[in-house]
Amino acid sequence: MTVAQDDWEAVVARRGITLTEALSARPGGVAQPTPALDGGQRLQVVDTLATLLGGAYCHLVQKRAGYALDPVQALALLRRRCASMTDSEFHLAVTGLVTSLRDAHTRYAGPSHLHRFVAALPFLVEQCGPASDPRLLVTKVVDDPELVGDDQFVQGVRLEWWNGVPATRALDIYADHETGGRPDSRRARALESFTFRSLAYGPPPDEHWVHIGYSTPEGQEHEVRMDWRVIAPETARTAVRPESRAGLRVGADLAAQSVRRAKTLLFAPRVWSAERAGRPGAAVAEGSDWLATDLPDVLAARPLAGGRWGYLRIWSFDVEDDDAFVAEVARLLTALPPLGVVVDVRGNPGGLIWAAERILQLFTDGEIHPTRFSLLASPLTRAMAASPFNRFELDAWASSLEDAVVTGEPYAQPLPLTDPAWCNDREHDLYAGPALLVVDSTTYSSGDLLAAGWADHDVGPIVCVGEATGAGGANVWTDVQLRDALVATPYAFPPLPAGAGLSMSVRRAVRSGPSDGVPIEDLGVSGMPYTMTADDLLHGNHDLLSFCARTLDQLAPDRR
Amino acid sequence: MALVVRGRVVPLSTDPTLSPEPMAAFRGRVWIGDDGVVAAVTRGNRRGPADLADATQVDVGDDLVIPGLVDLHNHLAYDTLPLWVEPRQQVPFLHHNSWPRAASYSSSVTWPAYAFITAAPEELLAYVETKAIVGGTTSIQGSPPKNRPRDGWIVRNVEDETFGSGNANLVYASTLTLKPTVLADRANKMRAGSTFIYHCAEGQPGSVVAQEFRDAADAGCLQPHFVAVHCCAADAQAWDRWRAAGGAGAVVWSPFSNLWLYGRTTDVPAALATGIDVCLGSDWAPSGTKHVLGELKVARILADANGWEIADADLVQAVTSRAGDVLQRGWDRQVGRLQPGAIGDLVVVAASRRANPARTVVRATERDVRLVVVDGQARYGEGALMAAAGVNATTTLEVAGETRHLALHRPGDPSAVWEWDEVVQRLEEVRRDPKGQIEGGLARLAAWAGPLDSPEAPLRLALDMPTGLGPVGGLPKDLTRIAIPPLETLAHDDAWLASLHGRGFHADVLDGLAGYYS
Repeated sequence: MTVAQDDWEAVVARRGITLTEALSARPGGVAQPTPALDGGQRLQVVDTLATLLGGAYCHLVQKRAGYALDPVQALALLRRRCASMTDSEFHLAVTGLVTSLRDAHTRYAGPSHLHRFVAALPFLVEQCGPASDPRLLVTKVVDDPELVGDDQFVQGVRLEWWNGVPATRALDIYADHETGGRPDSRRARALESFTFRSLAYGPPPDEHWVHIGYSTPEGQEHEVRMDWRVIAPETARTAVRPESRAGLRVGADLAAQSVRRAKTLLFAPRVWSAERAGRPGAAVAEGSDWLATDLPDVLAARPLAGGRWGYLRIWSFDVEDDDAFVAEVARLLTALPPLGVVVDVRGNPGGLIWAAERILQLFTDGEIHPTRFSLLASPLTRAMAASPFNRFELDAWASSLEDAVVTGEPYAQPLPLTDPAWCNDREHDLYAGPALLVVDSTTYSSGDLLAAGWADHDVGPIVCVGEATGAGGANVWTDVQLRDALVATPYAFPPLPAGAGLSMSVRRAVRSGPSDGVPIEDLGVSGMPYTMTADDLLHGNHDLLSFCARTLDQLAPDRR
Repeated sequence: MALVVRGRVVPLSTDPTLSPEPMAAFRGRVWIGDDGVVAAVTRGNRRGPADLADATQVDVGDDLVIPGLVDLHNHLAYDTLPLWVEPRQQVPFLHHNSWPRAASYSSSVTWPAYAFITAAPEELLAYVETKAIVGGTTSIQGSPPKNRPRDGWIVRNVEDETFGSGNANLVYASTLTLKPTVLADRANKMRAGSTFIYHCAEGQPGSVVAQEFRDAADAGCLQPHFVAVHCCAADAQAWDRWRAAGGAGAVVWSPFSNLWLYGRTTDVPAALATGIDVCLGSDWAPSGTKHVLGELKVARILADANGWEIADADLVQAVTSRAGDVLQRGWDRQVGRLQPGAIGDLVVVAASRRANPARTVVRATERDVRLVVVDGQARYGEGALMAAAGVNATTTLEVAGETRHLALHRPGDPSAVWEWDEVVQRLEEVRRDPKGQIEGGLARLAAWAGPLDSPEAPLRLALDMPTGLGPVGGLPKDLTRIAIPPLETLAHDDAWLASLHGRGFHADVLDGLAGYYS
């Protein structure tokens, strides 16, 4: 396929192109060659990473202890041989080294022209049943027969084989290359990205197509070949802008964020198009019981069957305007039945920390104490906090960073990123009924913060799919933001070569209230365990919501 | 372009044949070469250097030709703002950490300044440097930290000046209190040749900030290259210590700011008795005069009020030769004096035929500043003098009711005149919509993908003063809460003078300033 450059983005956004086409650099074709790094550029990547991991990475101490890792020493070793490696060997080594930190905030993206894209297969796979005997079900299929190429391959078929490997085994192997502090969260994250790979912070799949073996509910076995396709999900109009003030207050799995958008594009095209066109009202079909919302990219709400309970789905906290977000959540809550609400943040990859922490006040009459964040105490962070260019952002930590030289504290004083006044500036307990939070192992970062705040302020029960939330406890910055913050310090670094990029956990989150000081990273927040059923996957979370309704019903009267 | 200025020259030269006493004046000429350096100063009609025989000549008649004024203490980023008072503060502030904790400080000072540095950094600097040159300033300390070198400055920025060497370490400065280790490092930097300008012991004697002087002294900072700003909390013991250390270095006196905030000021006689140089600085607009020409009058008022024997000549030297000598130690270039080899920075001050030079300069107002030359280039002045100096590409502006011409060039394009109205309009745009303009400024910075210290990078400035009490992150959650007061005018006008009465902690002493401008 040869496509004029002008049509490139439009084509990619609608249906995408095959990965083969995206990666082939034929003259006149749509693709561009992936830039290769020379030895000097590789040194620059390694040195920048070593500087930042050694001086700015807020989980360094914890990761060294928890995984017996020494990424800085590993980079020193890589530095000695990087110039003589092949380009792919080099990027594989760097990616592997960074991924071994098991931190979805901290990623390396090698040079590529595909950073804005997601590689996708035309279906979604999810897991049900116990972890010891999981079943992988296809829960969504793109409504485009040409892409699927098999009319038997429909929602509800069971994934059995993946390129000749048992699908669950293939998933386990893939999970080993994913982030996630616990095995269950690694697996959950792997499942989430099994058929959707963000190319922003990771390489494209090695295979350009996949042979999938599946079985129908009737037990018939089939096989189909599907191409990986590359699509451009784009960020939502309402998403946080990296250059804004809010851009430095993000807690999110950035790769998962783009995967979420890709899923919206493929499986909820009405929402994607309405949001993109600036007509959010059009996201809800006529006659639907879903409530119209101004923020369809991140919110959805409806009364549950029977009209007794309400259901609030928060897909993400990726919003630029947290005031608008909090106001919209408040509006939706008042439109829901007042006797109880299920707040579902499964798969929420995070977003603006302010948004997550401020909505807590809508569910409780207690004073909200936001999560606190601290910097690693290092010469780099001291220089960064002392830089006049960072007075607004980091001045509050400067003094304790200096004191740490004397006290030996590994971290600066933990301080909130969300002003406590902002967490308590709305009508408290706006939703007077009981509220229950549903999380899973891919509820991440700002999603973790919401869960932590929910638990620490005793807002209501937490139902957890998996052992705990995704356990991303940090404020994440990109290499551009770090470069900006290190201007005029001895640690200033030039732009990474050939469009390479990275993101990193910079400010470490610790909980407040009864869990005061407990880190979130790698621990997450647990709740009442729940195992997803086939009915959940195929019939709108049927069993899960019934479980939640029973739980709400069983609450003590004063919690109802 | 070479330039010769003829008038009553007050060279403040180290050459006793030209300046048998500091403020000696004579009819003569100042010859500045193409390189912006003074080639000669001659009496009467004596010939100058042969290679300057065809240089452009400006004859200013009886007016005084003096070295350009040096403001050794400012914070330029804040100089669009009006005088600030905390309404709830009933007694003078204790020290420099007290007033940043005042309730109105952030919203009145930090936030408006942040809006300008973020949304319109080039226009901000054009405005505040113009405010300085209107008062005859040719060198000023306190330029905001920048991400990259900046071309197109109007007055010499003390911290940024490298004289083409690329050595950005000629001058170190700190507004904020430094730890002893850092002070020790600065002591070594000074030993290696740098100048160190340090806000030190600003507050009431006996308060905690007096320790800042002791820390500086313990670190070894009491050296010739040390410039201590304020020192109003320094007691007799401190001055004795400085004297014992050799009496080398300098203090920058900012009497207006001290009186406004603390109701008292530096013990100048004690400082002079140590042998160190005493210079002047106008400090920032929230608690200072509009430029150092105004600060001269405050110094006069205060010296008289306190019965200090400080002559007008001493005060003029404090903003010319003495300040120039202080900078010369780090720069290895002379300003503040008109003599061969010195930088060609000068000011023409209106004067009558037999006027006492020192008294004339101390009493001069913005209307008396007729021409300002920086680096041998006429930068600001009356239209006729600018034209006579061969500078026609100018913009015009009103200063104290008179029209003045300014050689203002667009950033990045020295051939294009930047109209003053355009600068003001841009700042007014920021005033009208701080939130939108801040966000636009942040977006422009973010859009730059290259090295941030590249000359082509967007200019990024930082604030050098305490940010004050504020929400997390220092700024209001809702940026529409940022309100920017009207741009402070360039001259000490009636409105500004009227705003002194009954405000601040000067006990009406500063009310006397109006007498100089009536």
